[in-house]
Amino acid sequence: MKRKIIEHSLSIIFIAIIFSILFVLLSQNKKKSQINESSVLAEEFKIDFIDFDNPLHTSILKETLNIFYNNNAADSLLLLYEIDLWRELPSSMQLSGNEISIEKLIQILIMFLKFVLVYILVLGLTYYGVQTLAVFRFVSNKQNKPPLLIRVFSNLKNLKKGISFLESLKIIIASISNFIKAVLKIVFYLILFSPAYVIAYSLKTKFDTDSIVFMIFLGVISNALLITYSQKFYTFLISESNKGYVETALVKNLNNDYSFKSILPSTLLQLKKNFPGHVFNHIFINAQHQYYSTIKEQAAYLITGLIIIEMALNIHGHLGYELMQNLLYQKYHMVLVAVFLIYLTVKATEIFVDIFIFGENKKYQN
Amino acid sequence: MNKSLKKTIRRIFQRKDIIWTGLWFFGLITLWIWDVLFLNKPDLLQIQTAIINTFLMSLSVVILSVFWGWVFSLIVFFLRKLQNQIPYTFFIFSINIIRSIPQIIGILMLYFLITFLMFQNIINNIYIIMLLMAVSIAIFQFLEIMDLFIERIDYYRKTDFFNALLVCGVKELTIINKEIFFKNSRGHILNKLIALFGSTIFLQCSIDFILSIGLSTKISSVNFPLTLGNLLARIDSKQDILAIGHTIMNPTYFGNLFFEHLQGITIAFIIVFTLLCIYKISNAFMERLES
Repeated sequence: MKRKIIEHSLSIIFIAIIFSILFVLLSQNKKKSQINESSVLAEEFKIDFIDFDNPLHTSILKETLNIFYNNNAADSLLLLYEIDLWRELPSSMQLSGNEISIEKLIQILIMFLKFVLVYILVLGLTYYGVQTLAVFRFVSNKQNKPPLLIRVFSNLKNLKKGISFLESLKIIIASISNFIKAVLKIVFYLILFSPAYVIAYSLKTKFDTDSIVFMIFLGVISNALLITYSQKFYTFLISESNKGYVETALVKNLNNDYSFKSILPSTLLQLKKNFPGHVFNHIFINAQHQYYSTIKEQAAYLITGLIIIEMALNIHGHLGYELMQNLLYQKYHMVLVAVFLIYLTVKATEIFVDIFIFGENKKYQN
Repeated sequence: MNKSLKKTIRRIFQRKDIIWTGLWFFGLITLWIWDVLFLNKPDLLQIQTAIINTFLMSLSVVILSVFWGWVFSLIVFFLRKLQNQIPYTFFIFSINIIRSIPQIIGILMLYFLITFLMFQNIINNIYIIMLLMAVSIAIFQFLEIMDLFIERIDYYRKTDFFNALLVCGVKELTIINKEIFFKNSRGHILNKLIALFGSTIFLQCSIDFILSIGLSTKISSVNFPLTLGNLLARIDSKQDILAIGHTIMNPTYFGNLFFEHLQGITIAFIIVFTLLCIYKISNAFMERLES
């Protein structure tokens, strides 16, 4: 364990040194970069008789720029585009230079804390979701039920001439219900595989997509995170169920009935899943133990997903969005701080998971 | 229906991976026919270019990842054999640093470098830009392939297989490349490549979507090759996606999605449907491999 901690610490120190060097190099170039395009653009705003919200004024400015640039429309359009981008920036970003102030640092730390809070919540929820989905799939497969669409067709096959009206009605209702279930399953799959920005833009007109609650919802449901990692957990369940100890347990007469009478659906939904007296309890515990090391991978994937959500949805005041904006306006000091903080989050998760696995392994040592 | 035809059909239906591959192609072709009939020509051409570019780049990422994964796994194998463990420790340490950088951040930084090169007019050929974009993604994707290669070598080293072949006079490199990777791990590798192709499409679309904001005030997403991600980020596509939300509250509007909002719906569907099919193909292939 000590070795792992040393490895992680060295890695953090190494990255910190690299970032510090970059930070110093950037500071040295500060003077050169002070005459950046932002300040040039700021000059444009000193022309106080132009109202940039007035279409007539912007058209006249465009014409003037065309004349100034010898009818080179591309240059004038580019300048207007930059002015537009500049105007969309929060005033704090417009006025400050390339250096980093305490105020900015506090701002970014608050955003980071918000990011970590969302990350921890989504990680917890997805960890629960991954296990629940995998367990449901495993138990359903053990029940050996045919796929829903096949059930629809086999139900309809039973519609023969001789049967009563009531029986036919029952069959038709069962077929329709199975068909609806199949359609819902497909829709559920499509949602789970949708990138966050597709879901967010679909719902943008109806919900407040900038809220933290919506971000948590997106983090859990989108980007195929749940489905990818529930598949991994499911693979562990399958490989455990094929091991010798399961057969031994069966010989010793442990419960092996996977119907919902024996394993209640409510137990599958429990936060801490427990199946006393059932062979599945041992399969589940061992699969869960194997999955612990995958949490690191899941966490990294989740962080990528959350950053995508923040960046793609332009959620103001969030770390991902600010990182993107600072990159766009070449405020590299802020970019370095933000990237380093995200790196620390990944490392902290790795250290936590390693310590947790170490503790769990100790429990099972003789 | 004659018996052999029945047998062939039954065999195909038992191979879910083939069914899902067929479904994927069928879905894409049906969509294309629909678009030919109802989508305007300029948009259709853009979507076609975006699909080709996206799939080509993802394929390049997969090829690069396999190559780097293979080379790096061999390096790990030979470094482990050295008595001095410092090079091995240093190598793994460096690899772990790449692993700890969230993919999206790493790729974004490399894209930023590409933007800089474009701004300096050092690169302006669209194919070179595409290749560099693929390289940027592959740097953060090849580790998965490398891990798989190392795992396969370790698995066979634990058994007598490796030593027995060594005793027979077979060279180590031949054992690894021919006996382990080619003869005994093709299925595992192929399964991983399919999954990697899917995750690359997801990453690429996400990055390109984000790029719509721009990575420089001088270079916008217009300067990058057309892909599904940046086509989806365009305002008309976004409005098409917004129409889905409108349909949830006004179900009667549903039919209009397939005629009036075709561009955005088509792109979103291609991304989601492709990810779903690739996931299903990969899983079904693995299940068949294990059975």
